[in-house]
Amino acid sequence: MNENRTKKILISVSSIFILLFSLSPLLWMLAVSFSDNIDFLRSGRYLITLSNYLDIVRLRNLHFTDYMRNSMIIATVTSLIVVTMGLFAAYAVTRMSFPRRELFVMGILAVSMFPQISIVGYLFKLMSSIGLINTYPALVVPYVAWTTPVVLWLLTSYLAGIPRELDEAALVDGASRSRALLSVIFPVAAPGVFSAILIAFILSYNEFMFALMLTNDFRARTIPVGIALFQGLHGEIPWGYIMAGAALASLPVVFIALFFQRYITEGLTRGAVKG
Amino acid sequence: MKRGDRGRPVSVEALPFILPVLLFMLFLVALPVIGTLINSLFRDVPFLAKRFMGLGNFVRLFKDPGFRESLLFTVLFVLISVSLEMVLGTLFALTMNEESRLTPLLRVAILLPWVIPVAVGARIWQLIYNYDYGLLNSIIVLFGGNPVNWLGSPGLALFSVILADVWKTTPFVALIVLTGLKAIPEEVYEQAKIDGTNLFNRFFLITFPILRPVFTVALLFRTIDALRVFDVIYVLTGGGPGGSTTSISLFAYRYFLLGDFGLGSASSVILFLIALSLSVIYLKAARFKEAIT
Repeated sequence: MNENRTKKILISVSSIFILLFSLSPLLWMLAVSFSDNIDFLRSGRYLITLSNYLDIVRLRNLHFTDYMRNSMIIATVTSLIVVTMGLFAAYAVTRMSFPRRELFVMGILAVSMFPQISIVGYLFKLMSSIGLINTYPALVVPYVAWTTPVVLWLLTSYLAGIPRELDEAALVDGASRSRALLSVIFPVAAPGVFSAILIAFILSYNEFMFALMLTNDFRARTIPVGIALFQGLHGEIPWGYIMAGAALASLPVVFIALFFQRYITEGLTRGAVKG
Repeated sequence: MKRGDRGRPVSVEALPFILPVLLFMLFLVALPVIGTLINSLFRDVPFLAKRFMGLGNFVRLFKDPGFRESLLFTVLFVLISVSLEMVLGTLFALTMNEESRLTPLLRVAILLPWVIPVAVGARIWQLIYNYDYGLLNSIIVLFGGNPVNWLGSPGLALFSVILADVWKTTPFVALIVLTGLKAIPEEVYEQAKIDGTNLFNRFFLITFPILRPVFTVALLFRTIDALRVFDVIYVLTGGGPGGSTTSISLFAYRYFLLGDFGLGSASSVILFLIALSLSVIYLKAARFKEAIT
């Protein structure tokens, strides 16, 4: 058989497999969330309803909207802080020399490999002793530390690609280092900064273990933990609510993936493939 | 104070730039890790005085069948799920490397499992596996089969947890391998085509050797990440049935939950040491150092 045709067929089959594999769980989630009964596949009776969505938003004692608000605030604040700090550090790493610069970068990169469980016990004690358990700072502060390696690496490799002549010209003209960073480098690095913000947002929005350990109710609990521990008000597992909640919880990050796919892919793969 | 690029000591100048990052790393990562190391040497439980145990906690753990089971589960989980992810991820990447009308759709579709929180994805899979009205059993019953207890028997639970993890993390491998594929110049293949090598030989004789460093990086990264698996198991099986899917992270978490910080810390230290040794290899393989010098 003609090789090109074999290849075309293989690619089509494989493409369809990828689409089915990636999307079918999500379609299942949507199907259940819009259904008024859970066993529609067996009974063959499917009635579209919005009640699952309306209920989880309206029923205050399910706290769904609280979890969403907590997550959005915590992830936004975290990503802004970590990227600001990371930008300055990345500038120093690529433009200035300081003792043990390599150790600084490699040490921070090594941190991203640590299992979270190896610090969560200590963090729990720490946060309890200063009375921060179940507050936003109890999550924002560890999240900033936890997303620093990825953000620092992303920004470092991005800044390394920007010609040094750019800011050196500004320095010769008498600008300070931070001025050169903010008014010369920052505009050029904006796409990299944006991609770092999105990645940091996704990582902190999705984090589970810290949130599970360091919060205990709707005042600070985030949406992944909220969904994981979601209980019905009357005993049995309310799958309709859970799938509607899962769909709404996925909205912010799915939105990012749909509209900023390039930035995410770029952010994810940068650093892993070098040289 | 060496290597000041304009002949003056610049380390003082750099300090304010790196200080915030340094402080965060020091107080929220280095200190907790050291604290955990120290805690692992103590008996640290509620209502009893803290007491130095030496390596007593570790000895107790290795004697505990529950811990050995979780160690075995974690290793099995890593081996199977990472192998599947590497193979599937490579297939995905090879597919996406060929431009077709579906390519833009694939690029977005493949990202979705990765961006959705693990806990949320796990909830979806929990319902897919549900005995009474799950997607899988509904299909099986539709074709006249008997429903399967996906999460209720040890062997199947392992499989179910792995499948959910593969769904979530294959995109990451695919994207890394795809970036590597894109970097291979077309001419490399032209010669092989002239020589009449077929599709499969071309992959194994040309693509694979060139991409070996990329595969190594993806493999190590995924291995280290899979070692600390927690969320997907916490939601899907809670470690059951009967402890058969308890990862080391989950094992340690349970001790922390009980307030036993000695044994919790000791279990996490073991995981930490495994991850640390792998990450030293990873950092070398990924050649981060070359990129910053």
